[in-house]
Amino acid sequence: MLKVPEHQVAGHIASDGKLGPLVDDQGRFFKPLQGDSRGEHEAKFYESFTSNKKVPDHIHRYFPVYHGTQLVEASDGSGKLPHLVLDDVVSGYSNPSVMDVKIGSRTWYPDVSEEYFKKCIKKDKETTTVSLGFRVSGFKIFDHQESSFWRAEKKLVLGYNAAGARLALRKFVSSNSPADSNLIPNCAFASEVYGGSNGILVQLLELKDWFETQTLYHFNSCSILMIFENESILTKGGDNVQAVQAQVKLVDFAHVLDGNGVIDHNFLGGLCSFIKFIKDILQSIDQRDETNTSPLENGH
Amino acid sequence: MQLKVPEHQVAGHIAKDGKPGPLVDDKGRFFKPLQGDSRGENEVKFYESFSTNTEVPDHIRRYFPAYHGTQAVEGSDGAAMIVLENLLADYSKPSVMDVKMGSRTWYPDASEEYIQKCLKKDTGTTTVSSGFRISGFEVYDHKELSFWKPERKLLRGLTVDGARLTLRKFVSSNSLSDMGSKPDSAFVSSVYGSSKGVLTQLLELKAWFENQTLYHFNSCSILMVYENESILKGNDDDARPQVKLVDFAHVLDGNGVIDHNFLGGLCSFINFIRDILQSPDESAES
Repeated sequence: MLKVPEHQVAGHIASDGKLGPLVDDQGRFFKPLQGDSRGEHEAKFYESFTSNKKVPDHIHRYFPVYHGTQLVEASDGSGKLPHLVLDDVVSGYSNPSVMDVKIGSRTWYPDVSEEYFKKCIKKDKETTTVSLGFRVSGFKIFDHQESSFWRAEKKLVLGYNAAGARLALRKFVSSNSPADSNLIPNCAFASEVYGGSNGILVQLLELKDWFETQTLYHFNSCSILMIFENESILTKGGDNVQAVQAQVKLVDFAHVLDGNGVIDHNFLGGLCSFIKFIKDILQSIDQRDETNTSPLENGH
Repeated sequence: MQLKVPEHQVAGHIAKDGKPGPLVDDKGRFFKPLQGDSRGENEVKFYESFSTNTEVPDHIRRYFPAYHGTQAVEGSDGAAMIVLENLLADYSKPSVMDVKMGSRTWYPDASEEYIQKCLKKDTGTTTVSSGFRISGFEVYDHKELSFWKPERKLLRGLTVDGARLTLRKFVSSNSLSDMGSKPDSAFVSSVYGSSKGVLTQLLELKAWFENQTLYHFNSCSILMVYENESILKGNDDDARPQVKLVDFAHVLDGNGVIDHNFLGGLCSFINFIRDILQSPDESAES
C-alpha cells in the first residue's frame, strides 16, 4: 500500500490529486520520474553513483540508497508511471524535524536554456542563494508542547534574508514554541544536533573534505536535508539513541552533470558558507553557556 | 622622483591614449591611478580599512600589497594615485600571472548593466565552469632568453584544458611561443610545490577564507610571481614564488558571511595546481 509521505518539506507534494512521491510501509520512497528528461537524468545519476568505484565508502551514507525504477500507480490517478525507488531517508524516525537547504550560489549551470537560466537567476537573486551561497527551501519542526508538527510557511522561507536564514537555523534546533514569532529560539538542541562527535557539523565537514577533491559530479541545484528526532532528545534515557542520530543527506539529482576534471566549486563554496553559519550558532551557544549563571530552560 | 611605466603589467589598465596608467619609482613603489566612477575611491577605502583592521591575522598581511596612502603625482594632471608596494621590485626577471578568482565577477546590488556585462564575460570564459580565469601572464623563456606575453584575445578564449596547459607553461623552460611544444614543467616543484611555494601559500589563504567574514573580494585577482634570474644561474630553488591578492575596486563588507564566491574559485584553482604537481609529465590536450 502506497501513501503520501508525511515529512516532505520541499519539492513536489502528492496532495489533492497532484503528482508527487509516495512511500510504502517497508521504508521505501517512490519518486515519479519528472517530465522533460529530468526524471531520467536523476535515474542515470543514481545508476552511475551507485556503481562508481571512485566514490569513497564513507561518502555513500550521505546519499539515499537506490533500488532502480519501478512502474507504480501515480498519485494523481494518471495510471502507472515509472518511479525511482529509494530508501526513505526519514523512515526510522517517528517524529523527525526536517530542513531542506539548497546549496550553491547559483542553481543554473553552463549550457542551460536562456529561459531556465533567467528563471534560476531571478530566484537566486531574490533569495539568499547569491548572497549566502545557499537558501533554506523549507523546514518542519516537531513541537513537543503541541505534540504536532510546525511547518514554516513557504513564502516566508523564500523571502528570508541572511538574518532570516540564521534565525531559521536556530529555530530548527529549539524547543520553545515555533509558532510564536516573538520568542527568541532557545537553541536547546543545538549542541546535540549540530555539535557532538557524530552531529551535523562533523558530517558536513566530512562532505566538504570530499568536495575539495572530487571531480566526478557537479551537484547543480541539489539540496542538503538535515533530519533529527526531536522527541528522543527530550526523553533521553531510551536505548534507541543510535536510531535517532541527526543525519545529513544529499537529495534531488535532476540537474547533476559530469565533473569533467573540475571540482564542484559552486556547491563547495555554498557548503563552506553553510558550515560557517552552523559553526556560528554552536559558538554562540558556548558563549552563552559560559556567561550564564542560571540554569537553562531546555525543555525537560 | 623618477617615475616610469612598469615593465611587467600583465592585466588591468595600462597607459593608453592620454589616459593615465600605473607608474613605478626606483624606491619600490607602485602608483595606481584612481579609476573613475567611485571604483578608485572604493579601492582606497578598502586599503585604508584593511591596513588598520586588527581582525586581519598577521600572517595573512603578506598576501596583500603594502599600502602607502594616496598622492598627487606630477604629469597626471594633479589626479590622485594610490601608492602601493611594487610587488615586482625585488625580482629581476619575474614571470607573472594574474588569475581572477570566483565563479562570478558581479555581486548583489551591482547595476543591472554591470551584472549583464560581467555575466557575459564570466560565461564566455572559464570563470563559470572552473571558478577562476587567467587574465594575463608574462613568462620568461629560458631558450629565447626573453619574456613572452600572449595576446589578450588568446586568453579570453581559453577552455578548461587550455587553462590547465597555461598553468603548466607558466612553470616550464622550453620554448613557450611555440604552441605545439609540450610544456616540460621544469620548475613545477620549486614554484608550485616547495614548502614555501604557491600551493602552500594558497592553502594558507584558503584556511583564512573559510572563516573570515570581513570582506568580499569581488573581481579580485591572485598574482603569482617567481624569479627566473636564479633559475638561469642554475639554482631554481631560489625562485621565490609569491602569491598576492590585487585589485580591490569592488570589495564589499562581508556582513557576517564568508566570501564563498572567492573561496569556491580558490579551491578549484588549488585543485588545478595539485593536479599539475601530481602529474607534471602529462600535458593537457591543446
